[in-house]
Amino acid sequence: MTADLTVLTVFAEQTNVNGDAENALVLTARARWAGFSAQRVDWRLGDPVPKGRPDVVVVGSATDPVLPALLDALRPAATTLRRWRDAGTRILAIGTGWELLGQTIHLDGQTLEGLALLPGRAVAGSGRVTDDLVVDSPFGRLVGFENHLRDVVLPAGSVPLGRVVYGRGNGSDDRAEGLVDDTVIATHLHGPVLAKNPALADDLLSQVLGAGYTARTAPAELVDETARAARSVIATRLGLSATDVA
Amino acid sequence: MAFAPAILIGRLVRVAARLRKRGGGSAVPGLVVNRLAPRFLSATLAGFPQGLVIVSGSSGKSTTTKMLVAVLEAHGLRVFTNPSTANISQGLTSALLERVDLRGRILADIAVLEMDEGHGALIAPQLAPRVVVLTNVMTDQIDRFHDSEKVAGMLGTIASRATGSLVINADDAMLLELAAHRAPGTVIAPYGVSQGVLAANPRGLGYAQTAATRLAQRDGTVVTEVDGRSARLSIAGGEHPITLPARGTHYAVDAAAALAGARAVLGADFDAERATTSISAVAPVFGRGEIVTVRDQQVEFVLVQNPASYQLNVDSLEKGLDQLFFAMGSDVRDPSYFWPVDSSSLGRVAVVSGSKADELALQLRYRGVEVGAVDHDLAHAIDTFLALPAPRTGIKTVIFTADSMRRTRAHLGLV
Ligand SMILES: [Zn+2]
Repeated sequence: MTADLTVLTVFAEQTNVNGDAENALVLTARARWAGFSAQRVDWRLGDPVPKGRPDVVVVGSATDPVLPALLDALRPAATTLRRWRDAGTRILAIGTGWELLGQTIHLDGQTLEGLALLPGRAVAGSGRVTDDLVVDSPFGRLVGFENHLRDVVLPAGSVPLGRVVYGRGNGSDDRAEGLVDDTVIATHLHGPVLAKNPALADDLLSQVLGAGYTARTAPAELVDETARAARSVIATRLGLSATDVA
Repeated sequence: MAFAPAILIGRLVRVAARLRKRGGGSAVPGLVVNRLAPRFLSATLAGFPQGLVIVSGSSGKSTTTKMLVAVLEAHGLRVFTNPSTANISQGLTSALLERVDLRGRILADIAVLEMDEGHGALIAPQLAPRVVVLTNVMTDQIDRFHDSEKVAGMLGTIASRATGSLVINADDAMLLELAAHRAPGTVIAPYGVSQGVLAANPRGLGYAQTAATRLAQRDGTVVTEVDGRSARLSIAGGEHPITLPARGTHYAVDAAAALAGARAVLGADFDAERATTSISAVAPVFGRGEIVTVRDQQVEFVLVQNPASYQLNVDSLEKGLDQLFFAMGSDVRDPSYFWPVDSSSLGRVAVVSGSKADELALQLRYRGVEVGAVDHDLAHAIDTFLALPAPRTGIKTVIFTADSMRRTRAHLGLV
C-alpha cells in the first residue's frame, strides 16, 4: 500500500465495543506526528478482505453473540492473514479479538475452532471480570481495563506480555497477561491500550517504520503526558505506584 | 383506609428527615412506607381513573415524559408525574406520599411515570399500565457485553404489562422485535422518522440496532423534517410544524413518542393542533438543552449518557462554539467505550474536569481537539470556566456525564 504506515481494522463496527479499533487512530496519529504518511483501512463485515498487505492489523473485542458470525467471515481470509503475518504484518489482538485469532473458544457450552493464527485457547473462566488491569511488562507498567468472560490458556513456551499486578489477565496461576512475540501483541487491556501505554505503540511503530520513527514530537509529548496522568490516577486509586520496579 | 397508618408514619419520617438535613433524605420516607406497606405503591398507582402511563428506554425518557404531560394537561387532564431524579422505588413512593390523601388517593386523572429500565422491570410485575411508551435501546455502561439484549429484556418485562397500547420507536429494531412478542390484545402505536430525516443523520440515531425500513406515514407518528429547533411531524395523515426544546433530531423523536403516547391515551379526544402547540411550549429539561442563567451569564448544559448520546449531542451542537467545558465523572467506570465517538468537531475545549479528566483529555487530544486546562477539582474548574470572558460565538456550553452533572448542580445551587 502507498502510505508509510497502513493499519487495517477488522470488522470495526462489531469489534469496537470497547474502542479497541481506535488503536488504529493512535498508531496513524503518532506516525503522522513523526512525519510519516499513514492511513487506516477498515475491513467491513460482508466485504472481501482488502487488497495489499497492511503493516498492522487491529482486531478488537466484539460481544459474544456475534462471535460465530465473525469467525465465519474470517475463515475464508485465514490464508491471507497468515501470509501477511509471515511477511511481517504486526497484529494487535484484544479481548475476544484475540480469541477469534486463537486456537479454540469456549462459547455457550460449545468449543469453536478459532483461526489458529495465534496461540491461546479461550476457556471457561470463573465469571466475567470487569475491572482495572495493571501489568508489569518489558514495556513498563501497563495500565488499563479488562472486561472478559473467559480465561486464556497459552501453550508451554509462550511469552506473555507481562505479569498481573492488579486484575485477572489470562487467569493462569503464574499471573500471566497477554502474549507477545516479534509480530504479535495480544492482550486483555482493552480500549485505547496504545494511547494509555505509548511505549507499546512506539515499539510497534519502530518495528514498522524503523529508526526514523520518533515519539519526541510536541503532540506526542503532550498526549503522553496526559496518558501518564491517567495511568497515575488509576494506579493511585488502586494503591499502586504508577511505575514498576523493574 | 388500609394504608393510613403507613402514610402517617411516612409523613412523620419526612418531616424528621427534613429537620435533620435540609433538602435531604427524600428517599427515606419511601423506604419506610415500602417496608410497612409493601402494596402501597402498586395500589396507589392503580387508583387513577384514567390509568397509568410508563415511559422507559435508554435515553429520551425525561423529555418525552415532560412533553407527554404537557399534551395531556392541554387536553384538560390532571396529571401526576414523578420528578425525573426519583426513579427508584423509594423516591417514587416518597413522591406519592407528598400528594396522597389518607385514603391513599391522589387528586389526578392519570399518572405518567418515567422509569429507568432496570427499576421499571423490577416493579412492573406489580403494575398494570394502560399505556407503555418505549424510547430506544442504546449501548450502556459496563454491562455492555450483554447490554443491548439485557436492556431489551428489561423493557420487554415492562412492555408485557401494558393493558392497552404499547407505543414504540419503529426505527429501533430491538423494540420492534419486542413488540412482535407483545401480550395478545395490546395495540401497537408506532412512531419514527422518515427516510430523509434518517439520511440527514449519517451516523444514525444511536440505537443499538436500527430497523431496516422506515415507518409509513399512514401507520403512525412520523418526524418528516428537522431543521435546528424546527420540525415537522405527520400525525394521522396531517402535517404539523413544532418547535423543539433544543436542537437535535433526538428531541423531534421524543416529540413523536409523546404525541403517539398522547394519541394512545386520549383516543378520539386527541386534538393534533392542541397537542403540537403544547409540545412547542415545553421548556427543555436541565442537561437536555436547557439554557440557564448562572452568575449573570447564559450557560447551556448538555448531559452525555452513553456513547450514542455523546455522539448525537456533539453533532447537534452549534458549530464554532469557543467556550466549552467538559467533565467526565466516576459514573463512567471505564472511559474506553467513549473512544469510538468522533469528538473532533468540538475544536477546542477550554476546561476538562471530573475524576476521569485525564482520560477524557486523552481521547479529545487524539481526536485533534485542543484542550485548555485539565482540572480535577470540578467545583474549581466550573468557577474557572464561568469566570472566562464571554464567548465569541454562541453561549458557554457545559457537557458532562451524570455524576458530574449532579456535582455541578450542587455546586451552582441549581435545583
Ligand atoms: Zn446496561
